[in-house]
Formats: sequence, structure tokens, C-alpha cells
Amino acid sequence: MSGFATYDARGVVIPVGLIVLAEVAARVSGLQSDSLAAPSDVVVAGVEALLDGSMLIATYQTLGSALIGLSIGFGIGLALGVLLGMFRVLDHLLEVTIEAIRPIPSVALIPISLLVFGFGYRMEIAVVAFATLWPALILSRAAIAGVEPRLFEVARALQFGLLARIVKIVIPAALPRVFVALRLGIGISLIVGVTVEISANVIGVGHETMLAGQSLRPALMLAYLVWIGILGWGVNAAMLLAQKHLFGPAANMEARL
Amino acid sequence: MKPSRIAWFFASLLVACGFVMLWQYLSDARLVSPVFLPGPDRAWAALVRGITQGELGARWLGTIERMIYGWLLASFAGIVIGAFIGSSERARAYVGPMLELIRPLPASAVVPLAISLLGLSEAMVLTVIGFGALWPMLLSTVHGFAAVEPRLYEVSRALGLPQWKVILKIALPSSMPDIVAGMRLALTVSLILTVIGEMLASREGLGSHILISARSFRSADLFAGVILLGVTGYVSAMALTLAESRLLRWRESH
Amino acid sequence: MNKAYEASNPGGPHAAVTAQTGAPVLAAKGVHITLGGRKILQDIDLTIGEGEFVCVVGASGCGKTTLLRLLAGLYQPSEGSIRYRDKEMLKPRQDVAIIFQDYGKALLPWRTARGNVALALEAIGAPRATRDARIEELLAKVGLPGEADKYPNQMSGGMQQRLQIARSLAQNPSVLLMDEPFGALDAMTRQGLQDEVLSIARSTGATSFFVTHDLEEAIYLGDRVVGLLANPGRVAITLDVKLPRPRDQLTTREDPEFLRLRRELFDFIKKAEA
Repeated sequence: MSGFATYDARGVVIPVGLIVLAEVAARVSGLQSDSLAAPSDVVVAGVEALLDGSMLIATYQTLGSALIGLSIGFGIGLALGVLLGMFRVLDHLLEVTIEAIRPIPSVALIPISLLVFGFGYRMEIAVVAFATLWPALILSRAAIAGVEPRLFEVARALQFGLLARIVKIVIPAALPRVFVALRLGIGISLIVGVTVEISANVIGVGHETMLAGQSLRPALMLAYLVWIGILGWGVNAAMLLAQKHLFGPAANMEARL
Repeated sequence: MKPSRIAWFFASLLVACGFVMLWQYLSDARLVSPVFLPGPDRAWAALVRGITQGELGARWLGTIERMIYGWLLASFAGIVIGAFIGSSERARAYVGPMLELIRPLPASAVVPLAISLLGLSEAMVLTVIGFGALWPMLLSTVHGFAAVEPRLYEVSRALGLPQWKVILKIALPSSMPDIVAGMRLALTVSLILTVIGEMLASREGLGSHILISARSFRSADLFAGVILLGVTGYVSAMALTLAESRLLRWRESH
Repeated sequence: MNKAYEASNPGGPHAAVTAQTGAPVLAAKGVHITLGGRKILQDIDLTIGEGEFVCVVGASGCGKTTLLRLLAGLYQPSEGSIRYRDKEMLKPRQDVAIIFQDYGKALLPWRTARGNVALALEAIGAPRATRDARIEELLAKVGLPGEADKYPNQMSGGMQQRLQIARSLAQNPSVLLMDEPFGALDAMTRQGLQDEVLSIARSTGATSFFVTHDLEEAIYLGDRVVGLLANPGRVAITLDVKLPRPRDQLTTREDPEFLRLRRELFDFIKKAEA
């Protein structure tokens, strides 16, 4: 977000202060809790889970389902978005249908998916796909609709066929904004994946967090919480970096959902 | 509305009806097992029965109530804290990076912590909703307050407006587009977290309703609940769009 | 101070600090200001008398706008002092109104014309009951009758600037500080607004300080024209404009005295640039 200075030592003060304070408070009070743990214990639990491989397996499960779900959802959404963006008639005709399905919160699909697929990858992938379809559809449709009309006239003058029009004009012109949609989609896929794991599924980092909480291991639970935060932050940062390298300032506009 | 728009609306309504009929055909022809996919007739019957004879209406109200409480809580806190952070450069320097760090964290990830601190209680559900919806609210309010045109602050200095009037009359209305956008996102997040909270804590609501229906293979009841959640999402988004167009009327030009 | 320019100004450069018109209202005494490590203005002495209309010209970057902000109390001098009547100007005053060049940024886009004028009335705590009548009166005065319910983005640039003038008049100002207010407007709109400002200054008796880069505009409007030189910004020439009032877009601009002053000012600028 533009309102914040990117690198400023002052930004470190509060997080570090809070961690130190938590550590001191836990040590001084001799904390014995089923829900909280000293930061140092959290680090130890996290490193242990990393070393014995359980955290990495869970991460693999979460990222795997999120990415497959994203590929499916984003693929369908992008195809529909390009179609609706290019053919306004289709867009008008499908308006009611889309507006009727879109507001369904993705988590409402969890029980349906559970009913159809049972526990495991497939139910999570299905929910992630549903959740990521909409931003892909909406944003790519807007990206196509925003392509300079003059370019279509150029395409007509050059007598391009439909495929050539899509490949040579539409996609390159809309690409920066579609990438923004992809960035948002990746964030959403991770959020939805973790959410499915927390609320129902039996795989992934979300489930491990839940399990650690239920088995009264607060240090491990908090370690997973921090790890989920790192994953979310890392994925977002990587996508921002990629966006900057691929498109430069052209993609700097922030698309809103 | 222009006549052409109305015509398009009816045409697209017809298309939607076509999809519902296709859905009916799919389930009648047993192309998809009725265990997974009830026909629209059965889903509708379950919806009507649930509201008139069963608990569905009460559960729906429970969901709406939680969603709105959590959302209001988050909106209020988000605007107050966001206004403070956004209007002070120093506060932004101290708190901004931390907010950026927490922003991509899925709100649902704090559910295990909330459960272990508060148990499977109503307070836990509300805390999770409020916490999750706070972020979009906070970040957009900070952005709005940080983006107030500096010239307007000079105008207020020249007019001799006291600080609280500057916030009330200049900064707040100027940030309103961002605040409304944040509230819109926060409402979506609230609904999602309400459903999750209800599922996990088995509170009386649509979330627990659909989960229990799925577990006992009552797909018609499940779909009835999903339809109501869709209606809730639709109506709340519409309400905000309406409020937005009233609040931000000044943005349209000729 | 450069001797060459002093010579071109027989009345002494800015030695004639006290204006002919009346008691001093605004005075800068030995003002220096450094912003961001750069010396913007150096050794400014300027006194503006009651009811006087002073115009400031100079190339961009000569510190005209900074001088206006100092007089407004938006900036504080690094050295020297700004005085309003007999008090030091430590912060902006409600009876000193500012009209900014970028009306698009200085108006509240979410308030109608009425609401924008009301802002100033709210600031000075005008009684609620009289506000509506006052707003109508002010909008009529600046040539915007019947536009009260329009939002700024529904108005042309000229109308928006008129609205900003109406808002500043709502403060009942005894001083009007104008920062290139017509710089972004087309020539016709500009001339109309010049006459509007002159008639407002006359009817309210407000003391006026007008920054512009248009030499003719400065002579047409002013009782006195002050020319600044850049790097660092300093007063280089002061011309008394003894043209009859009320001024007229045609006859005043054809007046031999107008042409003579215009020549003098152009020569000054040319020499300064050489």
C-alpha cells in the first residue's frame, strides 16, 4: 500500500518490542497455559516441526491444493472473462446467472464439497477453484473491456481471425491487469485453502494448527500460525516482485475486488 | 432504467431460468446422484419447509446477527484506529510495516488460537469475525486518511478550523470512498468467518446447518442453506452499493 | 540588491515601504526563509497598506508563492518577522483569506457549492439561521447565482475559482491573498474574473495581495507591482501604478501610462534574464 514507507527502522520497534515483552512476561510469570506460549518456545516448536518434516509435508499439501485449485478456478474464470469481455451480448445474457452465484460465500461450498469428495485434496481443490474463479472472471472481463478500442479497429483492418485477435491483441493488452488478478487469486487460494483445512479438512497447515490447539500444544499451534503468516507474506511478496519485473510501473494500479 | 437495459435484464433472467431447468433435468435424469445434487424443486421445498416449520429461519437470523455485529465492531474499530494511524506520519512509520506483515495472514488461521483462548463460545465466534473484518477496514481507512489532499489541510488552517473539525469535516469525508470500499470487503469477510465460526463452534446458524446437513446426507437441506447464504451475500452487497451511491453521490459528474 | 534595477525605479526600490493608501496592514520585515536546505527568500521588506492592491510578479521559482504563504501564516520565516497590523503572524488568521491557484484541490469535492461556502461560515461560527441567506448573497456576488446545489466537478474551472472566491469572502476577510488564481483559466474567463476581483476589493475595502506571472495582469489590477528575482528570491523592483480607477479592460490597457509601465516591467524582466 502506497501510504507506508517501505523501509524504515521505526517499523521494527513495535513488533520486536511486543515479542520481547511477551518473552519477558512469559518468563516472569512462569507461564503454564494451554493456549499461549513464550516466543522462544514457539521458535523451538517451529524449528522442531520443520526438522522432522511434518511442517514441510503440511505446507506441501496446502500449497499443492491451493495451486491446483487456483489453476482450475483461474483458468475457467479467465476463459469466461475473456469471452464475456469480448462479446458483450454474452455478458448481458449471463448477468443474472453470474450475479446469483457469485455472492455465495466460498466457505458455503465446504459442506457440499465434503459431501461429494470426502476429506482430502479434491474437496479443498474444488472450494479453492470456486473461490478463485470470480476475481479471475471479473478482473479479466474488466481488463478486456478496458482494451483500447482503436486496437480492435487495427485488428479488423488487418483482417485478423478470432484466435489471432485474442492472441495478438486482447491478451497482450490485458496482460498487466490479468496479472494483478492472478496475484490476488494466489492470495485468495492460500486463504481459502487454509480456511478449508481449519474448518473441515484433515490435511495441510490449517489442519495441523487446529490439531496442535486441540492436543494442547500451544507452542506448536502458534508456530504454525506464524508459519501461515510467513507463507502468506512470502507468496504476496514474491508475486509483487514478479509483477514489478514483468510489467514495471504499468501494473502498479491496484485492482479492487 | 432505460428500456434496453430492462430488456437485457429479462433476457438474462430467461437464461438463468434455463440454467435452473437444466439443473432440474440433471437431477431428474439422475445424471448426478441425488445424494449430492438435489433438484431445484427439492431444494426449494426444503427451504420453504425449513422456514415455515423448522429452525431454518431462526438460524438464518442468527447468522445475519453475528455477521452484522462482527462487521459493525470491526468497522467502528477500524475507522477509529485507521484514522489515528492514517493521519499521523509518525504512527504510519511505526505501525505500517507491521500491518503489511499481518495483512496476508488468513483470518481463519487465528481460529485455533481463539478457540483455545475462548472455547467454542459465542464470544470466540464474534472475536474471530471482528478480528478478520478489522484488517480490510483498517488498511483502507489508513490509506484514505493518508491520501487526503494536503491543500485541504492548508485550507482548513487558513480557515482556522480546530483539529477535531478538520477530522470530521475534511479528513473523514475525503476518506469516505476508501472507508466504504473497506466496509464492503469487511462485510464479505464477516459472512465467511461467521459461517466458519458457526461450523466449528456449532452455534445456531446457517454454517452449522449446512455442515450438519452434509454430514447426514440431507442434500436438499444443505442446498437450502447455501441458497440462503447466497441471498445474504447478495442483499448485503446490494445494501452497501446503495449506501455507497448515496454517500458518494458527489463523485459522479455530468 | 542589484544596483541596475534600483536605478530603473526612481522612487527607490522598496524603500517606500509604507504605501500611500493607509496604515500598514501586512508587513514583512527582514524576512529570510530556508526550505529543505535551500534559501528561498532573502531579506524581504514589504509593507502593504490598508485597502491597497499589491501584485507580485517574477519567473517561476522566484519564491512568489512562498512569500504569499509567509504572509498567510502558513509558513514561518527563518529570520525576520511577518506582522499583521500590530501583531506577529504566527499562524493563519480567519480575517486573512487565501485563494489558491489549484481550485480543483482546494475545494471539497464532496460538498456542493453551498456546502463549500458553508465550510468557511462553520469555521468562523456564523449563526446557523443566517447562513443560507449569506451563502446565496455570496454566490450571487461572485456570479454564481442558482448554482448552489452543484458539486465542484460539475462546474467549469472559472466557476470553481469563483466558488473559491465566494468561500474566502465568507470569512469577512480584511486581507485577500491570491496565489496565481487565474493561471489555469482561458483568456476570456480570466478578464471577467479580473474585473470581478477588482469590484470585490473595492466594495469590501479588502487589502489585496495578488501573485501572478502575467505582467499585464499585475499592472491592470495593482496599485503597486513588486518584481522578484530568483535564487534566492528577493525584491528587485517596485512600480507604483497610477492608473485611474475603476479600470476597464479596453481603455486601461490602451492608456499610455499602462503601456509605459508594461514596457518598464518587460525591460526589467529581460534584463534580469540576460
